[in-house]
Amino acid sequence: MKIKKMAIDWLDSRLGVSELLHQQLGGYKLPRNINTWYALGAVIMALFGLQFLTGILLLIYYVPDTEKAFASVTMIMNEVPFGWLFRYLHVVCSNLIIVALLLHMMSVMFMGSYKRPRELTWISGFTLLNMGLVFCLTGYLLPWSQLSFWATTVATDAAGAVPVVGEYLVSFLRGGPSVGAATLGRFFALHVLVLPLALMGLVGFHLFCVRRNGISQAPFGKHYRPVEPSDTFTHEEHHDGIPFYPNYTSKELGVIFFALAILVLITFYAPWLFIPLDALVPADPFVTPDHIKPEWYFLWAYQTLKIFPSEFLGLAVQGAAMTFLALLPFVDRGPERRPGKRPLFLTCYLLGILLFVGISLWGHYS
Amino acid sequence: MSQATGKGKERRTFLGVLLGGFSVALGAALGWPVFKFLAPRAGADEAQQVKIPRDQVAIGGAHFFNFQGRPAVILQPEAGNFVALSAVCTHLGCIVKWENDKGEFLCPCHGGQFSASGQVLGGPPPKPLDTYPVAVVDQDIMVG
Amino acid sequence: MNRLFLGWMILVLLLWCGPALAQDTVCVQCHGGLDGRLGAPVGQWEKSIHAANGISCHDCHGGDPSDFAMAMSPERGFIGVPGYEEVPAFCGRCHLGVREDYEKSAHGEALANGGPNCVICHGNHEVVKASIDLINEQDCTRCHDYERAAEVKGVIAETEAKLQSLDLSVASLHRVGIDVERLSGELFSTRNQFRRLFHTVNVEKLQQQRSAFDSDLAEIGAQVGEIENQLSQRKLIGGIIVVLLVLAGCVALLIRQTYHSEEEAGE
Repeated sequence: MKIKKMAIDWLDSRLGVSELLHQQLGGYKLPRNINTWYALGAVIMALFGLQFLTGILLLIYYVPDTEKAFASVTMIMNEVPFGWLFRYLHVVCSNLIIVALLLHMMSVMFMGSYKRPRELTWISGFTLLNMGLVFCLTGYLLPWSQLSFWATTVATDAAGAVPVVGEYLVSFLRGGPSVGAATLGRFFALHVLVLPLALMGLVGFHLFCVRRNGISQAPFGKHYRPVEPSDTFTHEEHHDGIPFYPNYTSKELGVIFFALAILVLITFYAPWLFIPLDALVPADPFVTPDHIKPEWYFLWAYQTLKIFPSEFLGLAVQGAAMTFLALLPFVDRGPERRPGKRPLFLTCYLLGILLFVGISLWGHYS
Repeated sequence: MSQATGKGKERRTFLGVLLGGFSVALGAALGWPVFKFLAPRAGADEAQQVKIPRDQVAIGGAHFFNFQGRPAVILQPEAGNFVALSAVCTHLGCIVKWENDKGEFLCPCHGGQFSASGQVLGGPPPKPLDTYPVAVVDQDIMVG
Repeated sequence: MNRLFLGWMILVLLLWCGPALAQDTVCVQCHGGLDGRLGAPVGQWEKSIHAANGISCHDCHGGDPSDFAMAMSPERGFIGVPGYEEVPAFCGRCHLGVREDYEKSAHGEALANGGPNCVICHGNHEVVKASIDLINEQDCTRCHDYERAAEVKGVIAETEAKLQSLDLSVASLHRVGIDVERLSGELFSTRNQFRRLFHTVNVEKLQQQRSAFDSDLAEIGAQVGEIENQLSQRKLIGGIIVVLLVLAGCVALLIRQTYHSEEEAGE
């Protein structure tokens, strides 16, 4: 105890750490009516942390070579002690991250937290969601299974619907006319280096925005007081709020443990949920498997491409929908955040979710 | 009020210790697989015995090979007489070179010299090269 | 077991594992549109195990599947329909071992005198995966008493059942990511050896050699069992970890509750 105090005093007299800690932890006040949904950001960070760990471990034995990749994954699964565990954790966790990202986005939308002055927080968050999807797409190719190969072929092929440069875009994404060694090389580099670095940077920016603006109140209950919009920068203070640490971090920790429980449960009991049969067959560029379907989080995109008469139209609709979501704070500019007083928004919100689920199911069963 | 807070504190300390215990158990449950995953495994290249075709080792020459995961060398000083040695210099772990004209080993790093039987002839090496048992079986030499 | 045979069978198995699909050949295009005797084989073949494994018309009947004009030219190796007694040789081009044992059997020896050829029991174009149900009173009594056939069936039933259940076990191991290449190769080879032996329809011979197959299968079964044990152990440990995580989550929320009650009290 004495040593700990001495160490803190030593650091404190030089860097003022206790002031800094107080500012960021105990003195960092959160609104009193903060709820469980606010813990999703911490859950996503914890899950990404786990992805970094399992990813680095897999990287030790994985060989990014079209001739050897599948065999190296088979070796990880069967010969390396606990290789199966880290591989399944990595696969299942990637899916849980997408679930958590979607829930995080939907709760922020429902509570109108994206509104002014938090537009940048929203845009960086939405970019992070897309980055998560690109993580999944690039990681999917690495085991070089039939599923990897054909999912990537189909996904990159969709870019061909872009007018004029479509064909070139497809071969640029693939590094050649069709998916092959060049594709594996660039997807590998993206997945293990470029995306993690970009993710860390963007998460940093996202957190900076969150901290700088202060946590928004949940727009529910008798304590909710709308904040007057201001033309100058203001940090949303909660003088009578609860300390971030330890009051709310204990909650975040609890929610993280429950998320990990779900992760471990699926990892040990139903990892095949995320490993279709085609993922167990090495890639064969000359045989397309029957009924190839993308992962659940891409089903909406897959089905949209099929619904519209031309691929270009489908792609354009997808692009429009994504752009609309990205720019939501600039479209929906009213200051009102209480869902009950935003009937138009609420209708669109629910219809949007139904549409997403409906199209995904349609894609799954078609 | 203050009494209730006291009770609350006690309760919190108890819960904190409990949570710490769970966290340690869970940390161990993650740490052990990580350790096993990274720990070196006895691989196929570390067979206890290595077979070398006899004709690969010239009389008076040296043949380098891998023995139990480490570089080794086999010599045939005179017809039918084989010597297997570790090729790792006992000084700082460089691989010794066979000097055919002198019939000696020279370590290129710091000039350690070893005889054909692994004895130190000069330079910094503190002890001779390890020797390995050798047996001749038909046209093959079994080391180990 | 014969090593060479094993290797060969693994090769065949590997070829089978790929989801091979027979292409739309000119044979199928033309005969698919014909009525009756000339068109029926297409529909029958589509449901067959041959179709499922990518074995198409020309693989048995020869000819050129890419050239309408020359498709049925003997110059391009077209064979057409084999005569009744030519059938074992026709099928035996691929099913070598079975042909050998069949020819030495009572069935094979009686071929010239109207004994059964392959298609009598297996059918031709609609051939499906062989099973022990092919031996049944209705079919066997078309030619002779069922008594001896029932005896043969009795001898192989147990081994066949073991083969079936091991097949399922190996498939479910494969499903959860276990590398079963070697196991399923051994199983495939054992099954083929056993099936070819069965084609001798010789009760004494079957009884003599059955134990060798049974011990082979028992060995494969032991390996499967060991892997299954490992898997259930994993699940047990995973279950414990889930419980620990849930408990830890509950404790963290209880800690949160202590702060929450303080917040309420302070209000």
